[in-house]
Amino acid sequence: MGGAGESHDIMAGRMLTLPHRPFRIAAAVALAVAITVLIALVLWAILAAATEASGTSRVDIPHLLRMTSIQAGLTTILSLAVGTALAWSLNRLRFPGRDLLVGLFASAIVTPGMVVAFGLLAIWGRNGWINQASNALFGVSIGNPAFGLSGILFAHVVLDAAFAARILLARLDAIPTNRLKTGQSLALTAWQRFALIDWPALRGSIPGIGAIIFLLAFTSFPIVLLLGGGPANQTLEVAIYAAVRQDFDLSGAVRLAATQIAVCSVVILIASALAPVPTSFGASASPLWRDSTAARMLQSLVLAIATLGFVAPLLSVLIDGFGSIGRVLAQPTFWWATVTSLAVGSASALLTLVLALALAMGRGATGNKPLRTLLGMPAFAYLAVPAVVLSLGFFLLVRSLGAAPAQAAPFVVIVANSLLALPFAIATLGPPLEAITRGRGKLMRSLGLSGWRQFRLVELPLIGRDLGVMLALAFCFSLGDLGVIALFGTQDLQTLPLMMFRAMGSYRNNDAGAIAAILLIGTVLAFAGLPKLFGKIADAAR
Amino acid sequence: MLHVEDLRFIHPGQPLEYCFNFTGQAGEVTAISGASGSGKSTLLDLIAGFLEPRSGQIKLDGADLASLPPERRPISLLLQSESLFEHLSAGRNIALGLPPRTAKEIIRQKVDQALGEVGLSGVEHQIAATLSGGQKQRVALARTLLRDRPVLLLDEPFSALDDETRGTIRDLVGVLTRSHGWYTILVSHHADDVEQLAQRRYRLDEGRLELY
Ligand SMILES: Nc1ncnc2c1ncn2[C@@H]1O[C@H](COP(=O)(O)OP(=O)(O)OP(=O)(O)O)[C@@H](O)[C@H]1O
Ligand SMILES: [Mg+2]
Repeated sequence: MGGAGESHDIMAGRMLTLPHRPFRIAAAVALAVAITVLIALVLWAILAAATEASGTSRVDIPHLLRMTSIQAGLTTILSLAVGTALAWSLNRLRFPGRDLLVGLFASAIVTPGMVVAFGLLAIWGRNGWINQASNALFGVSIGNPAFGLSGILFAHVVLDAAFAARILLARLDAIPTNRLKTGQSLALTAWQRFALIDWPALRGSIPGIGAIIFLLAFTSFPIVLLLGGGPANQTLEVAIYAAVRQDFDLSGAVRLAATQIAVCSVVILIASALAPVPTSFGASASPLWRDSTAARMLQSLVLAIATLGFVAPLLSVLIDGFGSIGRVLAQPTFWWATVTSLAVGSASALLTLVLALALAMGRGATGNKPLRTLLGMPAFAYLAVPAVVLSLGFFLLVRSLGAAPAQAAPFVVIVANSLLALPFAIATLGPPLEAITRGRGKLMRSLGLSGWRQFRLVELPLIGRDLGVMLALAFCFSLGDLGVIALFGTQDLQTLPLMMFRAMGSYRNNDAGAIAAILLIGTVLAFAGLPKLFGKIADAAR
Repeated sequence: MLHVEDLRFIHPGQPLEYCFNFTGQAGEVTAISGASGSGKSTLLDLIAGFLEPRSGQIKLDGADLASLPPERRPISLLLQSESLFEHLSAGRNIALGLPPRTAKEIIRQKVDQALGEVGLSGVEHQIAATLSGGQKQRVALARTLLRDRPVLLLDEPFSALDDETRGTIRDLVGVLTRSHGWYTILVSHHADDVEQLAQRRYRLDEGRLELY
């Protein structure tokens, strides 16, 4: 053990191993306060409208709550189980194309829900590939499993299990080589290896990931909108949207929003108590320890099924989409929507970068517990106040300020999307920045490094790739966003997802398919390209 | 003279109160030994300023260091590991011992000179992660040379090294201490490190230092 500085350093400021960075802390506090005020204003607008609008409304909140909870609970359990199995398989098996597959699963978190929903319909839907094949071969139809609760669960698990697997795989890959060597020399069985070595490494992350998945499923918007098939399977989000845009039932929408905020806040309070301890980053050398043949067969099977389940819908989007891409490319509105999407995506990605970097650096620079809690809160704000609710709040706020919603729309869409990406951005940047100041604080402090040199020489080279990942996340999130734009979109402000949604609404499914394919390609390009680019920039900073 | 006087400290939640007293001379190595968990690293953390003492003084030639933050203390550190930024080249790591905005030409010259002094010429472009354990410690020593702070704190600096390398690095520490007139404080539980290197030996037991 190298002295007292390693694990006990958050204690009441007694340990002085953190470099002194008052400017970082001040900047972070200012931003945290600004975000909090913004959220508070939005909440205030919603609550004010709620007390004002006491008219009758037909929303059935208990029913919605029950349905949404069942759906989100099932999604969480299934996604964690599938994700763990997938991470386990990926950690063990070595095969050509493995890196590509891992990258693909990593991209699940940014794949627009609309695209996945569309892909599932193309495969499992009434006129999907499977029904067509089954009709041709046996003359029977399998119905429409992509619709309703089963479809929602399927789409959620496709996305969320891959998301969980990626994080859990990183935990498994970071198991110290020496521990694996010890286990191998004791000739542990595949099961013992999982129970004694893997599970302890995973356990700490499960509650946090589970909470995120639950919230994502609980607030899911595009997938439920497209696959839910009516009020039976709505989430609160979709119900809010329907209340505002279809039934013009503002008081119902506001009551739904208040419920949504209450439930999400409770989940977040529980989740933050369970938040995983950030482990050190970096992967250990890959071991040459193979499990038994039976275990390896199981792993291959898991991998094959997961790959098929994840890749097939996306592949179908690409194949179907390219058939009718010409028609879409010929429409000027398409090009406008593309420009709008790119502009909104870039602006909110940059905003997210500034917010996340400032908050994470400020948080890493202080050992003061209340301050750290304060600086950690903006990350959760948006989860508590998800897309449609935030939009509703902004909408009410803008209206009560006497401005036209159409004018505020671009601003609201950018800010809301970057708040949406913020939890993930902070989760990406926070742990490595924290690990650097904790692990290297003594050294940096005794050398008297300035804040700028700390950033240029130590942090930037080490987190460059993470910065790219974070920008890609934020960009893709807002590229695929439907929740915010659905409430705020106008004829003039139309993004690609909104255009796709409108195309589906007017039964132009070929157009929708082509846009889905383009969205998917844009997402993949950004997600694969930005981290590489930033990795290069960081290397140059060494 | 380096003079630590009634330096008291209690780890939160622990019953033992440490009370450290010792003196060190310029150009001499003072060795601190003691059982694992006896508080050796705690003592170094206090001297370096990473822990705040409840009371007491750390005096270097009459000036009290206890009120200075770690980065302002006239102190260099050499730990068992983690003394370098692994992702930077050896040269970059060493150059961190110079003030910011030192001219490139001077940096190169000083880094060369320091590497020569620790017997490692020619590795300045190698990434620190790829250096051997002994080479890393030499690079860290080279940085110490550029910083040229009078107090050098060593916490088990040779533990990760094989016998031959540890002999060479140990001798190097002795030579540098004498030639630069450093106050070197060596924490080690290896008897031969202490015998070979130290002019003054303390044992830490029950929170107190005893000369032996
Ligand atoms: N932050 C802390 N809070 C509470 N107790 C601590 C803290 N840091 C160290 N200790 C305890 O203080 C005692 C002295 O620790 P220290 O690291 O100084 O020992 P050491 O002599 O350097 O041991 P070693 O030879 O194993 O490195 C130990 O019992 C340790 O458990
Ligand atoms: Mg120690």
